Amino acid sequence: MADPNPPVTPLYVGIDLGTTNSAAAVFDGERVSVVRNAQSATVTPSVVRLDKQGRITVGTRARRFLEQDPSNTAAEFKRLMGTGQGIAFPAAGTTKKPEELSAEVLKALRQDIFDQLGVNIERAVISVPALFELPQSAATSEAARLAGFARVELLQEPIASALAAGWRADGDGAGSWLVFDLGGGTFDASLLETRDGLLRVVGHDGDNFLGGRDFDWAITEHLAAQLSVVPRRNEPGHAGALRALRLAAEDAKIELSRNERAQVTLANPLRIDDQDVEVDLELDRATVERLCAPFVDRALDVSLRLLATHGLGAGKLAKVVLVGGPTVMPMVRARVAARLDAALAEGHDPMTLVAQGAALYAATAGLDGRAHATAAPTGRQIWLQYPAVSSDLTPHVVGKFIGANPPTKIRFARADGGWTSGDASVAPDGTFLTSVTLLPRRACTFAIEATGADGKRVETSPPALTIVQGLTIGDPPLSRTLGVALANGMVQTYLERGAPLPARRTFTHYTVETIAKGSEGSVLRIPIVQGELSQANLCRLVGTLDIGGDAVTDTVPVGAAVEVTIELDRGGRLSARALVPLIGQVFEHVAHLLVPDASPEALEIAMRDLRRQLAELRTDAFRRGLASVIEKLDHVEGRLAEAEKDIDAAHGGDADAAQRARRALLDVDGTMADADLSRKWPQLEDSARNTAISASSTVGMHGTDAERSLLQEVLAAMEKARRDKDAPELERQMRLASRLSTAAFNRTSEAWEWYFADASSEIGKARDLPKANALVAEGKAAVERGDTTELRRVVKGLWALLPEDSEARKKGFDSGVRS
Amino acid sequence: MTAERVADNPFFVLGVSPEASRIEVEREAQKLLGMLELGFEAARAYPTPLGDRPRTAEAVRAAVAALRDPYQRLVAELWARHAPPVRGGAATPEAAAGEAPVVTRRALGWCP
Repeated sequence: MADPNPPVTPLYVGIDLGTTNSAAAVFDGERVSVVRNAQSATVTPSVVRLDKQGRITVGTRARRFLEQDPSNTAAEFKRLMGTGQGIAFPAAGTTKKPEELSAEVLKALRQDIFDQLGVNIERAVISVPALFELPQSAATSEAARLAGFARVELLQEPIASALAAGWRADGDGAGSWLVFDLGGGTFDASLLETRDGLLRVVGHDGDNFLGGRDFDWAITEHLAAQLSVVPRRNEPGHAGALRALRLAAEDAKIELSRNERAQVTLANPLRIDDQDVEVDLELDRATVERLCAPFVDRALDVSLRLLATHGLGAGKLAKVVLVGGPTVMPMVRARVAARLDAALAEGHDPMTLVAQGAALYAATAGLDGRAHATAAPTGRQIWLQYPAVSSDLTPHVVGKFIGANPPTKIRFARADGGWTSGDASVAPDGTFLTSVTLLPRRACTFAIEATGADGKRVETSPPALTIVQGLTIGDPPLSRTLGVALANGMVQTYLERGAPLPARRTFTHYTVETIAKGSEGSVLRIPIVQGELSQANLCRLVGTLDIGGDAVTDTVPVGAAVEVTIELDRGGRLSARALVPLIGQVFEHVAHLLVPDASPEALEIAMRDLRRQLAELRTDAFRRGLASVIEKLDHVEGRLAEAEKDIDAAHGGDADAAQRARRALLDVDGTMADADLSRKWPQLEDSARNTAISASSTVGMHGTDAERSLLQEVLAAMEKARRDKDAPELERQMRLASRLSTAAFNRTSEAWEWYFADASSEIGKARDLPKANALVAEGKAAVERGDTTELRRVVKGLWALLPEDSEARKKGFDSGVRS
Repeated sequence: MTAERVADNPFFVLGVSPEASRIEVEREAQKLLGMLELGFEAARAYPTPLGDRPRTAEAVRAAVAALRDPYQRLVAELWARHAPPVRGGAATPEAAAGEAPVVTRRALGWCP
């Protein structure tokens, strides 16, 4: 029977939806506990099986079928999230999307929570890899919706691990921490800092193609090479044999974490090229360590690169937190401790740390997991705003009584009887503001006592509130800069990397072409891109907002305003909206939020193209003797060789390998763009010097004191970037200097006369010549009168009439808008 | 751009002094977010040297995030100290000549 007075203490739920394994944890304000499944295990394999009756099995029981019935058992579908690629289950005669399979895992975890705690969960925090792209985050939210969650927030895995590790840390734990998260398929390194009970993410780096699976494949290939018939990854007929061998390799690897030797024996012979091949091999720890060491070193290279970016070296870390199955291996632990010269945080379970952190974060976000009772509230209703977790010992409580004639006074009494607030007065509109005192590192419940104008006690709903004192985390930062590509091939930045989420930003753009009413072919495209560089073609297209002729209620002419709003929630879920004031219509369907398909043929074409570019860059770099560029290109060479292996496997039908290859190629493309930038270093340095000189003189003459001080800072940052040979950073600082200089210059009257002369000289190209001529006449008059305000209006009008270069537009992903 | 920089200064957005400690900044932001969520009139605008500006939850979050970063905080302090006196808010037009800075600085909690 339902309790008529349900407990008010909230229950916070965190879920680690992993590539290989998943886990759930709950936090009640005092303690975090890991939820056990029906097999009493703390981790549930992320494996789903569909039999021919369409029955679904999840977890350990499904994993057993991976070898016997691989075509009806799916694993590692997390890597395909957001790709729109279906996974076929021939026995049941159906195809499932990756998010539908993830939903099954989430349902199983939700059931485990119910079985263990008797609580039906509707809200939770789900962790996602730090480098998840927007479509993958969207697919994760969709999986949660399918699993019956009313609301979820997404949290980056490294933040979750750090929160869990920091929460239990004794003492103040101040200093820099590194979270070294080596998962099944991805590696993430995150640098964090704790101070005054606040955890801050300083930066992160990672490798989307590095994980325990690489260990397994290296061991598998080592084992395969010793068989009488060697199975190959590019041969679809060998897939079954390789799968069986890989599962055996995985088991042997785990056994070797404890023992020096392991036997790899399969009960049934493998069938390779119509031959029976017996498997009875021996593996020792030293061999496995030798095979896996290069991957650990790659992860350590990434970690040291991250430290260097933030001015830290080995030996400067307060602690290293290890996360993920592979970090259980003694070799991994020893190598990490030695090369980073830091203490490893002990006493954490690397397999469930992420889920625990997600549960703690649910408390920070005030996301109570319980399904709320719909019983009518008794007492006077209050809307309350307070932090569910606070590092501050005296946080504010803000509230508002609903309805007319609110009580006049309110106070809060801590449940332990040790503290009661003074009476705070309630304003006539029902609002009040007060603060409460917490006990360190405890969950504190406060009874709410309200008094009416007649001096009588008034019951409230809710009757109490709970605040936990402990480590908190700032709003999660955006991992990559987000913007809109413009018709001139540049990017209008909306949200900078590091911006706190949730975030929203609106800019007004202007159309560069007509959208004809009723014309299907007439589409105005607003490309949304992510990346750190100002040229659109060097950023990643993550979605487009299309305004089609078939959707507009009236024709939208060239130069019409479009107000674009981009919004990201705390988990990095993107939504975008375009308002066209002229016709009063809003467009908000973001299309193509999919990771593109990766057919092996398309990948090969891309590979050939990249190889050609690589050869050109290399020849050039050798000719000029640019050692740093050559080093970068050597790294690219290695990545391409790996991607080639994956493309090979993709030909064998491995969709996951195809996605890996696609992302590797994208990465390589980015590195080459970087290398290209380094190659242009001498020119860049030259133009940086010119920018510095011209900004100094303009700001010196026309700038305000504050502008002058700021320019000094920017010049110092430019000098640092120049010394570090950091091309993207130098570019960014140059942009800042130019903006300061432009701001100072625009304050002068000569500026607008100069812009006017420049724009007038190009009116032959204007879209509307009569209008442009009229503007030029108005401008001339304004110059004579010395009317800068009017001249500014004229110049802006002229700019709107001048066309964008078509080459640039292509680079801007065919953007139909300008700034 | 410079005008924006002054008006969007995190110290103005949060209404705290450039000397505020980290915990005071966090506490003020948490209070303002709560007040904005519940539609408190008093939280909807903040005075700046360029007059009152509308305050949004996004702006408060961005401000507190900026002040958590040591470098960004330094720049913000510099701008807040160099900025002309704050206008708007509690100041009346008559008082603007001499009194305004003190009145508004007090309203901002910058001086007793």
